[in-house]
Amino acid sequence: MKHILKTFFISLLCLLLCACNSAGTDSGADNSANSDKAKGEISFTDDDGIEISLDKPAERIISLYSAHTENLYYLGAGDRLIGAYKTSTFPPEAAFLERYDYNGDPETLIAAAPDLVIIRPFVRDKAPDYVRAIENAGITVVSLYPDRFEEFDDYIKKLASLTGTEDRAEELLADFHGEIDRISGLTSSIEPKQSIFFESTDTNVRTVTADSMAGLAIDLAGGINIAGDAQPVSEGSSIAPFGEEKVLINADNIDVYVSQRGSMNSGASKQGISERAGFESVKAIKNDRFYTINEKLISSPSFRYVKGVRELARYLYPEELDDISAYENDSAATKRSFADIVFLKKHLPVFVPSSSSYYENEYSGHTYGLFEDIPWTDRDFDSIETCVSDGYIEGRKDGDKEYFDPDAPVTRDMLAQTVFVMGDFTSTSDSADIADISESEHPRIVKTLVQNGVFELVDGKFEPKRQVTNNEIIKALEFVK
Amino acid sequence: MKRKLLVLLGAAVIAGSMLLGGCARQTDGTSPAEDTAEVSEQGTEAEMSGAEVTADADKKAVFVVSFGTSYNETREKTIGAVEKAIAEAFPDYEQRRAFTSQTIIDKVNERDGEKIDNVTEAMDRLLADGFGTVVIQPTHVMNGEEYDEMKALTSPYEDKFASIKYGQPLLTSSDDYETVINAIAADTPQIADKTNAVVFMGHGTEHFANATYAALDYRFKAMGYDNVFVGTVEAYPDFDKIKSDLAAYNAQKVVLIPLMIVAGDHATNDMAGDEEDSWKTQLKKEGYEVECVMKGLGEYPGIRDMFVAHCEDAMTEEAE
Repeated sequence: MKHILKTFFISLLCLLLCACNSAGTDSGADNSANSDKAKGEISFTDDDGIEISLDKPAERIISLYSAHTENLYYLGAGDRLIGAYKTSTFPPEAAFLERYDYNGDPETLIAAAPDLVIIRPFVRDKAPDYVRAIENAGITVVSLYPDRFEEFDDYIKKLASLTGTEDRAEELLADFHGEIDRISGLTSSIEPKQSIFFESTDTNVRTVTADSMAGLAIDLAGGINIAGDAQPVSEGSSIAPFGEEKVLINADNIDVYVSQRGSMNSGASKQGISERAGFESVKAIKNDRFYTINEKLISSPSFRYVKGVRELARYLYPEELDDISAYENDSAATKRSFADIVFLKKHLPVFVPSSSSYYENEYSGHTYGLFEDIPWTDRDFDSIETCVSDGYIEGRKDGDKEYFDPDAPVTRDMLAQTVFVMGDFTSTSDSADIADISESEHPRIVKTLVQNGVFELVDGKFEPKRQVTNNEIIKALEFVK
Repeated sequence: MKRKLLVLLGAAVIAGSMLLGGCARQTDGTSPAEDTAEVSEQGTEAEMSGAEVTADADKKAVFVVSFGTSYNETREKTIGAVEKAIAEAFPDYEQRRAFTSQTIIDKVNERDGEKIDNVTEAMDRLLADGFGTVVIQPTHVMNGEEYDEMKALTSPYEDKFASIKYGQPLLTSSDDYETVINAIAADTPQIADKTNAVVFMGHGTEHFANATYAALDYRFKAMGYDNVFVGTVEAYPDFDKIKSDLAAYNAQKVVLIPLMIVAGDHATNDMAGDEEDSWKTQLKKEGYEVECVMKGLGEYPGIRDMFVAHCEDAMTEEAE
């Protein structure tokens, strides 16, 4: 009810605002510039109250907020970005954009000759001189930030109008809301409901307000928010005080404990939580249902928010959300289906790099998002990246390029390695005699797993190169505790 | 990049407090006695009372310097335990603590409101509180970069006290190696089972003291522990060297143990983490059973005794 009222109020406000802004233009209530397309004009009032007017979509854009960067890539306008703020590390290619910093010298940005700089009100507040210098150089600056989830569509439509990607925006928004509705529809019918505590900062164990994006995600994921009535630290803030004491009062009721982590807030880790006095009595900690979530997934106005909602729902209702019935068959397994099965069957939390300086380092193993054959738009991007980052499935390096080979067959040898790494297997003394062990790349693993009954031999042979079926993967994973 | 910024920030803080300290000493006047209580709480500010004049060689402090950790429980088990052992051994000395990591100091302060000194702050307070004899005992594993940086911060104070002496880091003399190995072996039953390979993970450094790790590995073997290997996260012996040693040893099971005073972030992530690049995951991929011992060196009684002994050596050494 509260939400409905709020939505109504905001819509009303939008209508009023739009009516005022559109004086002189013929755009209607929907100020997404869709209706202006024929005229080739882009006009709206940005979130700093400045009238924006562009003759044509921007070609050379610098984004000074990571969510803008993400959304522009989703909209298909990534190729028009010539630079971004340093926290822009998603999609992975954004990490390689030229960096511009509003704490630095505006001349470096001006010298890059962008035709549009997209900021948020926070940037103008924090660095007014920097923004003014850009405006004085004759460069269009647009400030956007949806304070509430209900303003997300409008925000996206403005981004779309700036880049002439209105049709793509419609599709994305439909998919976005469709998936959120699917998740909330699925979780709303589940009983009994699970309770969750969401920790937004390690300092003073703060939570989020119920109407923040993270607070809303808890509702959408069908969770009961332990701190649902927490009030903001200051008006308009999404952060709300809570405190260790109140957590401990609710110790028996917290089914799931989620700690938000991000570049500005390192957040509580599993070890940090476990060392807090009394926290071992919290139900979620006792039952190993503590999770960390990257703030970019849950508190940032981007299309990735749907992933954050899905993650919370998976933490709350793993069996209902992670449905592997589509893989319960005897089809030959590929690495793609393998990753999906492992991800769903073992309810792996999605891997997202936690540091905005992630791409400044070199990794001996896989680097997130850099598989040539699994772009970030791939439907199985999350399950594949998670399985590889957790060390359960390997990719392949060819020079400085990385490949996952999603269509490659899964062999018994590969499955054995995955099961061994995921589980806790001990070699028993009765060593199995395996005729073709020399053909295996992981003889030690194969011997141990055969001894543990995970694999059966066929005529004394392991047959390491034989392709497995999806059902065989599911069966082997049963042995992982 | 972030780390560099933090280091710069830390340096700025230290530089700032040094300046303050410098200025403070010029003022003089009030009787020091009435300021003592205030001094101990307010640090450099209280120094304005001209504590320098009151330095009393019989007022003795043992000053324990550690890198630090933000995990409270871990801290008490490791750094705290070393400090406790030293405090118990030398009741005539008042004990002071400092961390060298400004990031950790700031984090603990912000989160818990607990104020831990950095080296300069602690030195200023010792001065202000009228200590004349100070024994500085680092809990560093070796005479590396951390130790050098600490000395760079404490040496400007050397002529301000009647006596400043330094206890040595853990691995300094040739005998230290043998004592460390005995202390570890006494509390690591896994070493006795030769079907296990036991790998100690050190930090590693660009400092020339990095040779300490290879020397320790060598000494383990010389003492008959041919199933023990010493590697580092950031230098040599690196993980590839460890993997080839393990293959040559033909181990079935590998026991991973941090060679660090505190089993902190490196032990949790680089050694025992669940991600693909941790030592645990990489060794499991090769088919080893892996056991991780999350125990910092500060948790071994024999190691704590060594720090006490190093401290005592410093106290009894002849003044130069």
